Amino acid sequence: MHERLAVNGDLPLWATVLACALAALSLGVLLASELRRRERGGPLIVATGLLAVVGLLAAVARPVRIAARESVIGAKVIVLADTSRSMALPQNGTSPRTVVRDAAIGEITKKAKEARLHVLGFGDGAPVPLGESKGVTTPSPPSAPRSDLTSALRALAASAEERPQAIVVVSDGRLDDPGEDASREQLQALGRDLKVPIHTVATTAVSPPDASVRRVAAAGAAVAHVPLPLKVEVGCAGGLSCDELTVTARELREDGPPALLATGLSHLKDGKGTVDLAVTLDRAGARILEIAITPPGGDTIPENDRRLLTFNVARERVRVLHVAGRPTSDVRALRQWLKSDASVDVVAFFILRTQSDTPNARQEDLSLIPFPVDELFTEHLPSFDAVVLQDFDAQPYGLERHLPQLARYVKAGGGLIMVGGQNSFVAGGYANTPLAEVLPVTLDGSPGATAADVANVTPAWTDDGRAAPLLSPLHDIVGEELPQMPGANVLGEVRPGGLVLWAHPTRTTKSGAPMPILAIGDQGDGRSIALGLDGAWQLEFSQLGARTSGRGYGALWDGLLGWLMRDPRFEPGQLELVAPCVADTRTLLRVRLPSASAPKDGPGDAKSKDMILEVRRLDKQGEAPVRVEVPKRTPGSSSAVEIALPPLAAGGYTARLKLGAGPTTRRDFACESGGDEWADSRPDRERLRALASATGGSFHDATDDLTLPLPKPAVVSAERHVVPLAPPWAWTLAAAVALGIHWFARRRSGLS
Amino acid sequence: MTFRRLAMPLTFALALAALIVALPRPARAFGDVGAFDPRVLLVGGVTGAAHASAPARWSWELVQRTSAPGRLKPTQVRADDPSVVDAPFLWLSGDRSLNVFTPQEVSGLRKFFALGGILLVDDAGVSDDGGPSAFGRSAREQIARVLPDTSPIALGPDHVIFKTFYLLRRAEGRVAGPKTLDAIVRGGQVQVVFSSHDLGGALARGATGAWENPVIPGGDVQRERAIRLAVNIAMYTLCSNYKDDQVHAPFLMRRRALPVGP
Repeated sequence: MHERLAVNGDLPLWATVLACALAALSLGVLLASELRRRERGGPLIVATGLLAVVGLLAAVARPVRIAARESVIGAKVIVLADTSRSMALPQNGTSPRTVVRDAAIGEITKKAKEARLHVLGFGDGAPVPLGESKGVTTPSPPSAPRSDLTSALRALAASAEERPQAIVVVSDGRLDDPGEDASREQLQALGRDLKVPIHTVATTAVSPPDASVRRVAAAGAAVAHVPLPLKVEVGCAGGLSCDELTVTARELREDGPPALLATGLSHLKDGKGTVDLAVTLDRAGARILEIAITPPGGDTIPENDRRLLTFNVARERVRVLHVAGRPTSDVRALRQWLKSDASVDVVAFFILRTQSDTPNARQEDLSLIPFPVDELFTEHLPSFDAVVLQDFDAQPYGLERHLPQLARYVKAGGGLIMVGGQNSFVAGGYANTPLAEVLPVTLDGSPGATAADVANVTPAWTDDGRAAPLLSPLHDIVGEELPQMPGANVLGEVRPGGLVLWAHPTRTTKSGAPMPILAIGDQGDGRSIALGLDGAWQLEFSQLGARTSGRGYGALWDGLLGWLMRDPRFEPGQLELVAPCVADTRTLLRVRLPSASAPKDGPGDAKSKDMILEVRRLDKQGEAPVRVEVPKRTPGSSSAVEIALPPLAAGGYTARLKLGAGPTTRRDFACESGGDEWADSRPDRERLRALASATGGSFHDATDDLTLPLPKPAVVSAERHVVPLAPPWAWTLAAAVALGIHWFARRRSGLS
Repeated sequence: MTFRRLAMPLTFALALAALIVALPRPARAFGDVGAFDPRVLLVGGVTGAAHASAPARWSWELVQRTSAPGRLKPTQVRADDPSVVDAPFLWLSGDRSLNVFTPQEVSGLRKFFALGGILLVDDAGVSDDGGPSAFGRSAREQIARVLPDTSPIALGPDHVIFKTFYLLRRAEGRVAGPKTLDAIVRGGQVQVVFSSHDLGGALARGATGAWENPVIPGGDVQRERAIRLAVNIAMYTLCSNYKDDQVHAPFLMRRRALPVGP
């Protein structure tokens, strides 16, 4: 308990000062006049005058005695420790940078005993207590995908908690934000909201010997079939000698080894160089690109010699090759639908004349052009997203020799639709060919095989057809009703992984199953559809078509082509990464099932199907896939479920969601060891120094004496008692008595 | 003697072979539902094709000359029959003034056009100099009632209908008539073609194999061009504007520059 005297609390400071000043002035005047007189009674007058002035001052101030219990509280200081993955890079070739970071924080804690230190980790978003990440306790390896100091400081400024009086940042300086090129004004702005100095401690001073792909920048979005310029920045540091580095860009594909898309040579100057590459991705969707260098000897961090990047390739327009064997009403309907869709770029070739036709005209009088079968199915084939073979006989036009190439095209990610007619499927000579292997149904290749069932047929919806999202729009329009059509191609069993959406009402396959009429299936990286009818146009021109304004035909083809192009609307489910995949850590995949697949208690519903998630390595196709069973949904449950994958090695992956035996939904993704955080392994002390300088803080190396200039502690009273020395009237009486004595002394001395 | 004995069976065999060759190829497997069907439209008092043999001949010529299938026994349909919407083509021909279409006929035709159907209006009563007959005038009036928001425009040789199979420089039928066809175009598609050339007259051929009508003034050469126009109209029905695709452009430009054929 501390005690002290003070003036009465109701007296403002200015009044106290004024009273003291007047008292001092009065005393001065008294002393000056009385000492100058040198007459009898002078000392008495001075003494009584002094007493009177003191009495008056005491009457005004009315002193009190204060007894208080006080404590000293240290200034709140937040230590922001870098938790990004770059802190896992080796320090001096041995232990990671986090060891130095943690040692530095320990040293600061020891030296700043008077401060209240709060150690938080910063990485991606708001800072969290070190050792925790978003509420979940994490192991010691740094795991943040970014080093965003700006977001961390903004979160502290926006927090309702007690403001810190100083910030200490412990990092290697390789920050994402503020960036390398941040100006002094930008750095000053970081401390402006908090109005505190930011002290910085650099964990690392020396670059490891490392050559790396530091940055890959794409000029714009990736669009299928359109060259995408890439600027690749490479670098060498830590004393490695490299004047030039070879850079390659490869696409990881499921159907074979990675495809080399581009290569270039970068000449390095001051350990840094760039190279421009142009890559063309033919398939839309998530595609994995590997950008790699050939490192020189002595490279100590091989993980950043290649980057695995996921490009979400969009389509400017869906390029469709429409080949028809003869013009019919079905061809007309499909062409008009394709041409009416502005998002479809259709290249069409129709056989308008056969060798047996006699047009009775010179060639010059005909508008016919040669069918460029060789050019189309070799040179231009990869440029198409989908190929439609409608009522087309492979034999007379030389397509037979291109069927292996067409099958490879499908397996590599292309789309194929074979539409029925008298020249399709078995009648078109496709049985026992490589193309038949990529159709979702088998074809009877035996001599004398029946090619068509000429009886009128009204296709029957299967349970899978009713539940399939791609036919949902059509089903919404026509319900169960389909027009009667003039016969159907004879198709065989549905292949594994295929799904029958429409079946023949009476005809069966050899196994006794209803004969497929409309079937879909995955074929490697691509997809194919078999439609064994040439009467689908009657969804438009028929009394059913008139009742539905012909919308059924468009809905059918919108679904078929959309499914072929993996339009999310028509997928049985959707897969997405909850967060970027990091090698050797747990990865979360979110599985979404659309409403059309929601449980409806039908046999085709997702509820009744086993759902398996299969993750397969793209760049090491011999590895066994990882299979995870997806929990079945219950009525009322969320449409999304998160699936934890086991730790994956660095590489490209394709995840497939299998619903029952039907086609799958896929998602390609990349897992990297370090990713952006390891791309540039050099520490950046200068950025930390500049940050400290701009915000009024101090910069230190972790090996320095870490006695930081932190704010002084504050004194806080916990208990306080105020007791007047005397009541106010006593002070007033004493002042009056003193004045009276002084007046008496003066009168006795002859003064007035 | 031997020759005489062999002559009869040989002649018979040759005749049979010729007949087989000349037989139209049947549309295999799937019937002919998707084939070109020059359906005769019965509306406004019209009770049949102006030239009864012309629709079948049109299909026959199409099948012989092109890969397109055609109905060798074309159908006819009333405009107020629900089946008017069962196929994408209708052919209205006549030489007399049409009655005013009934509301049911107007409604049926509107449904047909709403689905994208194509109607050929062929004036069989056109005068030798191409002047429209009462049929031609009344047909335009009645079609205007069905499609009141549009009016016909002239289609010249640049239009795709003149190059869907043959490269044609003008329209011709039983009479030379105007060089162009008139048409109602909706949504970029030709939906009604008005011919003042009596195409059916040029196509009509009797059971004996003789042409039913003389073609003036060009004779058989003009008849051939009329058949070619009919083939082109059928191909337009089945292929739409396929020949307008960019891939055909350089070929067609080169051929347009060559001298005119028959």
